[in-house]
Parts: sequence; structure tokens; C-alpha cells
Amino acid sequence: MTSIAAPGLAISVNRSHRRLNSTTATSATIKSKLPTFSSSQNPKPSSSNPNIFASKQLHNVIKTSTAIGVGLYALSRGVSHVLLGGSGGGAGGVGSGSGGGGGGDSFWSRIFSPAAIAGEEESPEWDSHGLPANIVVQLNKLSGFKKYKVSDILFFDRRRRSTVGTEDSFFEMLSLRPGGVYTKAQLQKELETLATSGMFEKVDLDAKTNPDGTVGVTISFLESTWQSADKFRCINVGLMPQSKLIEMDADMTEKEKLEYFRSQEKDYRRRIERSRPCLLPVSVQREILLMLKEHGAVSARLLQKIRDKVQQWYHDNGYACAQVVNFGNLNTKEVVCEVVEGDITQMVIQFQDKLGNVCEGNTQYPVVRREMPKQLRQGQVFNIEAGKQALRNINSLALFSNIEVNPRPDEKNEGGIIVEIKLKELEQKSAEVSTEWSIVPGRGGRPTLASIQPGGTVSFEHRNLYGLNRSVLGSVTTSNFLNPQDDLAFKLEYVHPYLDGVYNPRNRTLRASCFNSRKLSPVFTGGPGVDEVPPIWVDRAGLKANITENFTRQSKFTYGLVMEEITTRDESSHISARGQRVLPSGGISADGPPTTLSETGIDRMAFLQANITRDNTKFVNGTIVGERNVFQVDQGLGVGSKFPFFNRHQLTMTRFVQLKPVEEGAGKAPPPVLVLHGHYGGCVGDLPSYDAFTLGGPYSVRGYNMGEIGAARNIVELAAELRIPVKNTHVYAFVEHGNDLGTSKDVKGNPTEVYRRMGHGSSYGAGVKLGLVRAEYAVDHNSGTGAIFFRFGERF
Amino acid sequence: MILHSSYYYYLHFSIQLVSMASQIIREWAGIQQFPAATQSKLLELLGKLKQENVSILTILVMGKGGVGKSSTVNSIIGERAVAVSAFQSETPTPVMVSRSRAGFTLNIIDTPGLVEGGYVNDQALDLIKKFLLNKTIDVLLYVDRLDAYRVDNLDKQIVKAITDSFGKEIWRRGIVVLTHAQLSPPDGLTYDEFTSRRSEGLLKIVRMGAQIRKQEIQAASIPVVLVENSGRCNKNESDEKILPSGTAWIPNLVQTITDVVLSGSKGILVDQKLIEGPNPNNRGKVLIPVILAFQYFFVVKRIQKWIKNDIARESRPSWA
Repeated sequence: MTSIAAPGLAISVNRSHRRLNSTTATSATIKSKLPTFSSSQNPKPSSSNPNIFASKQLHNVIKTSTAIGVGLYALSRGVSHVLLGGSGGGAGGVGSGSGGGGGGDSFWSRIFSPAAIAGEEESPEWDSHGLPANIVVQLNKLSGFKKYKVSDILFFDRRRRSTVGTEDSFFEMLSLRPGGVYTKAQLQKELETLATSGMFEKVDLDAKTNPDGTVGVTISFLESTWQSADKFRCINVGLMPQSKLIEMDADMTEKEKLEYFRSQEKDYRRRIERSRPCLLPVSVQREILLMLKEHGAVSARLLQKIRDKVQQWYHDNGYACAQVVNFGNLNTKEVVCEVVEGDITQMVIQFQDKLGNVCEGNTQYPVVRREMPKQLRQGQVFNIEAGKQALRNINSLALFSNIEVNPRPDEKNEGGIIVEIKLKELEQKSAEVSTEWSIVPGRGGRPTLASIQPGGTVSFEHRNLYGLNRSVLGSVTTSNFLNPQDDLAFKLEYVHPYLDGVYNPRNRTLRASCFNSRKLSPVFTGGPGVDEVPPIWVDRAGLKANITENFTRQSKFTYGLVMEEITTRDESSHISARGQRVLPSGGISADGPPTTLSETGIDRMAFLQANITRDNTKFVNGTIVGERNVFQVDQGLGVGSKFPFFNRHQLTMTRFVQLKPVEEGAGKAPPPVLVLHGHYGGCVGDLPSYDAFTLGGPYSVRGYNMGEIGAARNIVELAAELRIPVKNTHVYAFVEHGNDLGTSKDVKGNPTEVYRRMGHGSSYGAGVKLGLVRAEYAVDHNSGTGAIFFRFGERF
Repeated sequence: MILHSSYYYYLHFSIQLVSMASQIIREWAGIQQFPAATQSKLLELLGKLKQENVSILTILVMGKGGVGKSSTVNSIIGERAVAVSAFQSETPTPVMVSRSRAGFTLNIIDTPGLVEGGYVNDQALDLIKKFLLNKTIDVLLYVDRLDAYRVDNLDKQIVKAITDSFGKEIWRRGIVVLTHAQLSPPDGLTYDEFTSRRSEGLLKIVRMGAQIRKQEIQAASIPVVLVENSGRCNKNESDEKILPSGTAWIPNLVQTITDVVLSGSKGILVDQKLIEGPNPNNRGKVLIPVILAFQYFFVVKRIQKWIKNDIARESRPSWA
């Protein structure tokens, strides 16, 4: 279960996958049925016969977090096969190999992982063996009615005449655990499992009685070996029927036997030919070859290691459904490793209602389908990373409350995977009202009745119109519902994605909105030492329509038309055509710089706006690295008050230079980063003061107030910041400079000079990031004084 | 109470002046106050100007407050034409004093100080500009005190403000006037050394403020004239006010003015355009289509190319 917190909605994402690695117990929730890899083969191996023919059939239902055991069947002489099958069991569940198929009555029982067993076998009641201490009892001599407590388990290698350590790979095949309580039947089954695994030519289980009533189990074995091989081949046998072997009749004549083997060999060769190349890279294959060469004879343990290595590679690379199912061609010069990689046979999109029942969704399928990475299409090998990508992509649509991406074994196609996407849709319509009361203390500190103001926001949203993710949203905010004309802020927006059609890979979104906003103009701000310049509010209201084309998740191109009315007001909301200035005598004169182009206080204009953003930044251990360039143009059309015709442009270049290569991974330290930033803004043509570029402020030149350095026609800002990681956060030092390039006088009324600003300024400082807050000390170079600032968010 | 009455006096006075300036130009009677030697020198210079067909001379006097602009004006005219007070600014608006003598008209425009509260007083500058509308400035007298030892950024800003208002060209007609010239220099310096150092320091600032480039310094050297307006100014045997160096400064000043006028450069006509400056909103407007095309083809296209490269270079995950 993974849960992704997205803004506004929490999406619990159920992702099912199977971990087929037998060595590690995983905590993944496995909901899906395992693919059924079945094969039927030869008779039950006899422990005395080194030529083991094994057959198996696997039907595994895994319900809990289980590590899946993989067994080996060995076939020797002529065509040899070792079949590996994923198998596992739930608590108490029995992964059964049904006896079937050509005398394949051998059982392929599951091997429990410790986790699976824990609950089941740790029963406190157990029976004493009731025998003299320190005698060795054969398994069949044990009582069938008693529950034996196993004190310890030893593996005894008959060939080496020594016991093997617990780290040996054989131990992982065993479900018995020291301290567990088992009946004779269970122990017998265990032995059977070992015997049929193909790993051993001969295996026995003895019990040694202990004085305290428990027994020590000794498993003595003779490991299977085959002749040495000098070639290795890995093939993808997914979606191919398992090789069916004809039963070998015990009464076959030598000739028949020979024929039988030959036909088998032929079949196998054909199988190899038909199989598809697998994804395993040459480098890994070479390593395995090296292992083979080092080892000489191919032993069961070696095959186990090879299997682990191959599966390890697959799982490390996200191919969670990949499984080594078989080793073939043993006793020849070549070891053939058969892998079912998990080919996707189908992709199913399913909608669920609130109760989890399958229902018809409102969202159109192509909307979801276009978010799926190529790697989840039919014919591809299922990769967990692609699944995660799909999940993220679908999540970013913000249409669903719950998203599940499940790989499910395809019952009709052996080794095939059906990718199932289950979606719970969000409510299409939503409306929200939030209210707040504001009470302002009046004279004497006591609030008056009139000062109680009901305020708040009313918003509504209609999402996913026509199932094509189109939406309409609107909101109205005021701080006083009784008198809303004072500060009514509204927004109405229509979003139309997939402008070029939902099947077209081109991703363009149309947005049309009608808006208003009110901002304090940083143009009418005093320089250092100038106290209180009467503020000017800039109200904008208008219509906007633009088209956004997304190239990547971060890089995009937006172009559109803006029509707006700009009204400039003074403190008391009166329209003011000119800025005010404080006279040396203390009086205020309203003959400051003009606030609007029309010099009436109200401007109307239409202009084209284009913005191209190139952003290839990425996170390296939590620190941003890369490059971001933004270019924006506002092109006046000569439509509006005084026929404004202008070209206002700005270019921002930011580079996050990684200063040291670091290893990537969770919990690793981020690299030190040097941030270089440059911003140029310029305007040719009509430039009203509210569109002048201002210098100073947390996003311009730190250490100054907004607009404290100046307001100009052309500006340049340069900044450099060095970020050094310290513990979980980073400290940084920065230098910044802003310059009006002598163009302050090219703004009508020269507000920079009127409000006694320098027109250029530098600052330097240092700070530390504390969560979302930046605490920094910045020294303003014009006055030489420093101050501590707390800011939210990032400067760049 | 005293202040109050002086204010009234001033109001009355200025109205009178303005009306006079627009109507009759007074005879330059003050010239007769000068000693005979000065008179003859001045008349000689005026004759010289007339020879060169200059019959009207307009002198603009500018500088910080309290440096002696008005006193200098009075000294040149030879009468108390503008009110002067030792402790407060008496000139809140520009004042033009016009005198004529033998068909020659001398206009001297006294202006309020350009500094207010440590900053260039742009309001005063605005007033001056409006006052000068449609007048031609022949000579600019930039007045400062000789006995100030240092120059600072403010001086530069004043010069810059003047330059921004009237253009760089005005400094070709500019004369730096240093008042309070009768002083005893600080220890270890002779008078000449002190004055040359002081004038060099100020000139440097003026050049910076006026943005006169190094190579232009030779061509546009700004003369420096020393002035002592005080009544206690030393006099020579012919009763002329002289500087500690012995020069009679009034004839010297008029001489320098004449030289500057006759140096060949043109006077500055202050018209609407000069006051408002070129409308920055109209500059380059014609080029906007070209700029837009450039932006599209060389900036937007370039960035699009970068994005394409990014997409191509994007490290694909191993599974992709």
C-alpha cells in the first residue's frame, strides 16, 4: 500500500505486485494471484536415482506477505531440465501441486517463509519424544501422533562430510525452524519437498533425541551435480506453453528410451528457438558465465545462485513479475535459464464506485490511457517503475480519489500479466463556502457593532465535463459581504485540456478566465530614509485566454490574449491619476509621477502574452539541480487607452550547479550547489508606471524592501548563492545586485528619483533553511545596514 | 512676527519683479556704482560682445542653497536686485533680473537652491525648468563655495540633475563660480595651491556628473572663477574688489563670461522638448515589430531547441 499525498486530496494507491525473490521476506501486500506456471513432467524422482525426472504443477495463491520459495527440479541425462517455480503459501494455506499430468504425481509443496510460519507453528503444546536421550531415530520411526519440538536443525553434506552453516542457500528451502513444533507428517512432507526439489540426489531426515524431550533434526544430503558447462543462455519463455513431456514408461526398451530422449532434446531445441530474447544484459550473463567456469561442475547450489542472481537483476530493475522458472539443457555444455518476464497481455481500466463495486465511469478511457507510459502497453514486460509512473501520471489528473495499478496474472495466457487500473472518481461538482468574521477595535479599544464584518469565500467547481477533464471553477472572495463592492475579488475559469483531441499526443490546454486582483504598487515606494510614501493600489480586472503546451512536466509554452482594465487608487480607494509625494514641509502634494498611461487613473489595454519556460531541474537527494530559463513577452496591440503599443519582455536564467558528484539514494547527503541567477527586464514603447520593472524585494534583490531600489524601464538583476548541506537542511550565502541601467528616467515622472531611490543596489548575506522557512541575514549595500528576514519559499 | 513681515515683503517684491521683467527692462544703472576701472573694462567687454552681434546675454545661476548665488547676481548687476539673507533661503522661485545698457540687455536668472534635505530638490528643478521655458541660456554659472573643503556625492547628483535637465551641452557654456574667495587657506598651503586644488576637485565632480568623457575634457574645459561678494572684500588702489591673489574679480568674471559666449558654442534654447526630455514611451516604437520578430526567432526558438535537447538527453530510466 502506497499512499501519495497530493494537494487537496489524498490518494491511497493500492499497488499489487509480487515479490518472487525467495531469499527475502518482503512486506509488500500481495493481492494478486500468482501466475500459474504449470508443467507436467516425469515421474517422481527416486532418491536413489541420480537421473531425476520431476514434474510439477504450481497453483499458488498468495494472500499474505510471503516470500516465495523456488524449487529446483533436476533432470539429468540427455535433456535435463530444472524447473523452478514460484510457490508460496499463506498462513496455513497450502500451495499445492496437484498431482496430474502424465504421472506427475509428485507434490510440489510450498516452502514457507519464516514469516508465514510464525503464527502457525509456534504452538506452545508439544509432546516429549518419550525416548532415551541422545539416540538417533529415523523419520519413519517417529510417532505419528506426537508433536515434536525441534530444538535445532543441521544440514549434513555427505559428500563433504561436514555440516553446512545456516547461511547456506539450502536453509532457505527449509520451512522447519528451530523451536518449531511439527508432527511426523509435517516432517515427512518437508523431506518430500527437499527430495523433490531436484537439488539433492539423496536426502534423509533423522531426529536425535534430546534429554529435555525435544529433538534435533539432522538432514543429511547428497547434492545433485551435473557436468560442467561453459555456456549460458537466458531465454524468455513467457506466453509459451510449458514444455509438455511425454511420460516415460518404465517398461520402455532402450531404443524407445533413446528415441524418447532424442525427441525431448528436439523439442527443447525448438522451444529455445521459439523463445524470445530476454532483457538480461550481457554483463550479467557474463558474470554468470564466470561463475559457471569457476565452479566446474554444475551443482544444485550453483543453479540456485544463478537463479538468485538473475532474479535479483530483474527485481532490482523493476521487473517484479519476472521469474526464473526452469533450468534446461543440464548435462550439456550449455545451461539454459528460462525466465518468465511478465509480458503484459492486456491493460484494463476499471471504475469503482464508493463501495468498491465496478461501475461505469464518467471519465473517458482515452483520458486515462494517454497517461499510461508506453511500457504498460500490451506486449511490454511489466515493470513496477512504469506502474508507479502510471500512478503518478493518473494522479496528476486530479480526477480520482483512489488509484490502483495491479498486475494480475492472465489465466488464459501462461506467464502473461494483465495490468488492471482501478479508479475511484472524485465528485464532479463541488461547492465550498468559507466564512470569517473580522472585528476591528474602534475608539477606546472596544469593537463597535459596525466593525463586525462577515467575510469569506464562495467557490464552486465543476470538474471533468464530458469526461474529458474540462472544468469550470469560480470563486468570489470579500472581506465584507454586507458591502462587497469594497474589495470583491472574483475568478471564473474554464479549463479545456486536450485541445488537439484526446488521441493526439500533443498536449495543449486552453484556459479562459475572468479575474480581478488588487496589489500594492512597488513603484510608489520610498527609498532608504524616505518615510511613508502614500501607497498606490493597482486594481486589475479583465479577461484572459491562453493556450499552454506542455513539452515536459516542467517545460511549457503559453501564449494568449489579455484584456484588462487597470485602476489605480490611493489609500482611501479613490482613483488617483498621479502618485503623491510628501513635501519637505510635511504636506502631501498629488503631483507625483503619473500612475497610468492615460493619466486618468484608469487604463484599458489588450495585449498578447507569451511565456516559454524551459526547466530541466531535478532533485538530487532533495536538492534542486539543473537549469531553468523563462522568457516572457507582453506585446501591446495598440488597443486601449492612448493606444498602448509596447513590447515588454523579460528573460530569467537560473542555473543550479552541482559542485560535487554524490551518490543518489534515500537518506544520502545532498550535494553542495551553486545557484547563478540572472534576470533582464525591458520595455520598448508605452510603459505605464504599474508595468515598470521594480528592483528590491525578496524575489529581486534581498535585503531591500519591495521596490526600494527603484522602478525602471530596463533592469538587470544578478545573483549568486552557495548552498552547503548541513544535516537535514542547508545553509547558504548569497550576493545580489540590481541595476536600472540608467533607465529610471525613462519611466514617465521618474518615480525612482521622485521617491529618492538609488536606481541600483547590491546586497549580501547568509541564511539557513528551516523547513519551509528561510531565515537569513542580509546586508543592504546602499545603506550598509543588515537585518534578519524570515521568508517562506524559495528565492529561485 | 519679524519673519512674518519679511515674508510679506518678499511676496510683494517678487510680484513687482515679475511684472517688471515682462514689461520694461530697466536701465542698467548699477554699472555706474562700479569703480571707473571696472566700468571701462565692462563697457569694453560689452562692446566686444556687440561687435560679435550679441545684444542679449542670459545668464543662469545655479547651485546649492546658501552658496551665494543671489549675492553674486547682485554683485554683477551692481545693485541689490535680489533679496539676500544670511540665514535663510530667500529665493523659493527663480527670478530674472534684466538690465540694459546701450542697446545691450543682460538677463541674469537667479534660482532657488537645488538641495533640499540632503537630496536634489527635483521640485525646485521643475520650477526652474518651467521658468526657463522658451528662453535661451547663454551662460550657466554653477556656484559653490571656495571654502568648502570636500566634494561629495550630492555635488555630483546636482550636476547630474542639471545635465539631465538641460543636456550635456550646457556645460560648454558653463562656468564654475567659487564664492567666499577671500579666505586664508589651511596651514601649509598657499592660496593658489588651495584654490587650484579646490577647483580641480569640484571640476572632477562636475565632469563626472556631466558625464564628460576623458577625451572631451580638453575640448570642453570649464573655466573656474573666484568671487568674493562680501562688502569687506579687499580693494585695490582703483577701488576695485580684489581677490587675495590681486585680481579684480568682477571684470575677470565678466571677461570669462564673454570668452565663453564667444567661444563658438551655441546657447541652450529651453523648449518644451528639452524640459520634458524625449518621450521615452515613443523611443524605439517603430522597432517593436522587429524586436518581436527577433524575440520569436532568436529567443523563443532557441529555448524550444533547448527543451528538445532536454527531452532527447533526459536520462531514461532503465526500464524505459
